[in-house]
Amino acid sequence: MKRRPLVSVLAAAALLAATAACGEDDPADGMTSIKVGAIPIVDVAPLHVGIAKGFFREQKLNVEVINATGGAAVVPGVVSGQFDFGFGNVVSMIIARSQGIELRALASGNSSTGRQGADFCGLVVAGNSSAKTAEDLEGKKIAVNNLKNISETSVRASIRKAGGDPSGATFVELPFPDMPAAVAAHRVDAALVVEPFLTLARDQGARVVASSFVDAAPNLTVATYFTAQQTIDERKDVVDRFTAAINKSLAYTQANPDAARQALLTYTQIAPEVANRLTLPAWPPQINRSSVQAVSQLMVEDGLVTRPVDVTAMLP
Amino acid sequence: MTADELGAAAATSAAPTPGARPGAAVLRGGNALLGLLGFATFLALLEVVPRLGLVSSDYLPPFSRIVGALGDLLREGGFWAAVGDTVWSWFLGLLIAVTLGIVVGFVVGTVPVLREFTASTIEFLRPIPSVALIPLAVLVFGLSIKSTLLLVVYASFWQVLIQVLYGVADVDPVARDTARSFGLGRWARTLHVTWPTALPYVFTGVRLAAAVALILAITAELVIGIPGLGAEIGVAQQSGAVPRMYALVVVTGVFGVVVNVGFRALERRLLSWHTSVRSEVPV
Repeated sequence: MKRRPLVSVLAAAALLAATAACGEDDPADGMTSIKVGAIPIVDVAPLHVGIAKGFFREQKLNVEVINATGGAAVVPGVVSGQFDFGFGNVVSMIIARSQGIELRALASGNSSTGRQGADFCGLVVAGNSSAKTAEDLEGKKIAVNNLKNISETSVRASIRKAGGDPSGATFVELPFPDMPAAVAAHRVDAALVVEPFLTLARDQGARVVASSFVDAAPNLTVATYFTAQQTIDERKDVVDRFTAAINKSLAYTQANPDAARQALLTYTQIAPEVANRLTLPAWPPQINRSSVQAVSQLMVEDGLVTRPVDVTAMLP
Repeated sequence: MTADELGAAAATSAAPTPGARPGAAVLRGGNALLGLLGFATFLALLEVVPRLGLVSSDYLPPFSRIVGALGDLLREGGFWAAVGDTVWSWFLGLLIAVTLGIVVGFVVGTVPVLREFTASTIEFLRPIPSVALIPLAVLVFGLSIKSTLLLVVYASFWQVLIQVLYGVADVDPVARDTARSFGLGRWARTLHVTWPTALPYVFTGVRLAAAVALILAITAELVIGIPGLGAEIGVAQQSGAVPRMYALVVVTGVFGVVVNVGFRALERRLLSWHTSVRSEVPV
């Protein structure tokens, strides 16, 4: 989910928007082809479930999912019009908005389960670490997958909530796949890990000291499906159909977690045995607006953006 | 990867005489058995080190498990599609870079004024690591093969160009003057004097470019997520499928060896008349 280095050049991408061609209508059968930029991670399961279940075909949409390895390409891809829609986390979107890039969320992407200790994302320490709660991580070295992003903001929230002062903590950037090993070898004191690496880390003896997404805000909306304002202005009809289809997919997947676990075996390489027992995120059909507002506020406190972003303008 | 590029760049700037490959001559002796034994020892270490617990087998699976994952891979249609994607972007990028490198190299190399005029610009552009262009590639071309091609062509073009420039400069003045006194025109001189002189250099350039092109093709796929072996490695990594990831890495290694051996064989065959190649034959 590395997309930060690109945010600063997003404005340039906007200039390229005019040259891009996408979303071609095929008059023969009334179907519209769309491209969705995503990442091959657990969070996007509903998109794949919805395609398999035909929820997009019902809306006369032919979906091509384009998986970026790191997500670095998703936001610029949507801005430049290479993708019609994208999947991305709320912090990246707020940063983009703060730089004047007109992105708009259409639907919830995924959300924390809201249950402390039973979320798809956890702040873990090595099994033999002396840390018992997030407060014990004051002044410690903590790995997050992206500096200045939703992870860092959430970990600070956990330390604060446990009664500690997050200002002394050092954050280092580490890809999720490297975190279980780094924690086990004490190269970092703690790491904010998401599934499937949370399950893998636990298998190797790591302990969860906090569910940081739960601490950041109740039922935190982590990511959204979004598009460029220009797409809404020019092709409202396609946007409405996509929104309807993805909302139906979210509701279906939330009610049928086994469908999500099945889908994981198609677009990721997660071992079936791990896919069966990892903690799935929640997929509520609604964006939790107050959580987005809270994240935006935390980002100001943590200096990720200089002033609060008008959250209502970027949400549906 | 940047180290490889730098290594290749260092090799080119040292203006190698195409014949000087002492390592190749040594390896071709009766030491093939020793080489095989060394490789077998390496594989045995890969098997033993994780099994002894020196490195956690969660992060470095024993070699036998990697082979098992490789066996699964070979039966997947998706894997072969990824191989096809990588081979295609490697080949296309290399073709464009070699064509451009030869044409530009000959034009610039044979016109002294042009060579002086472009020297500083080439020296400025050449050391820019191709990976630094990834953000640009993503913005302009997104997740399409064009992004890969941009990186591949940029990195491998210089390998060819520099070699061609050295090759063109290496023309024996006596041969050139002789050709001129025989009344050969510019085109005939290029064809009969410059081209044969430069050819071994061109081949060295193509061989270096082939390796660099592969590095950049895999890098682009891995970092950006463009379909291919690199993207498969990325997905395996993000899914915690460690043996599969190593199996894919082994595949890219085999690809690299095949490319290098193939181009060496081609070089030996096509340049069999040249002293640089003849001297490689053990006497």
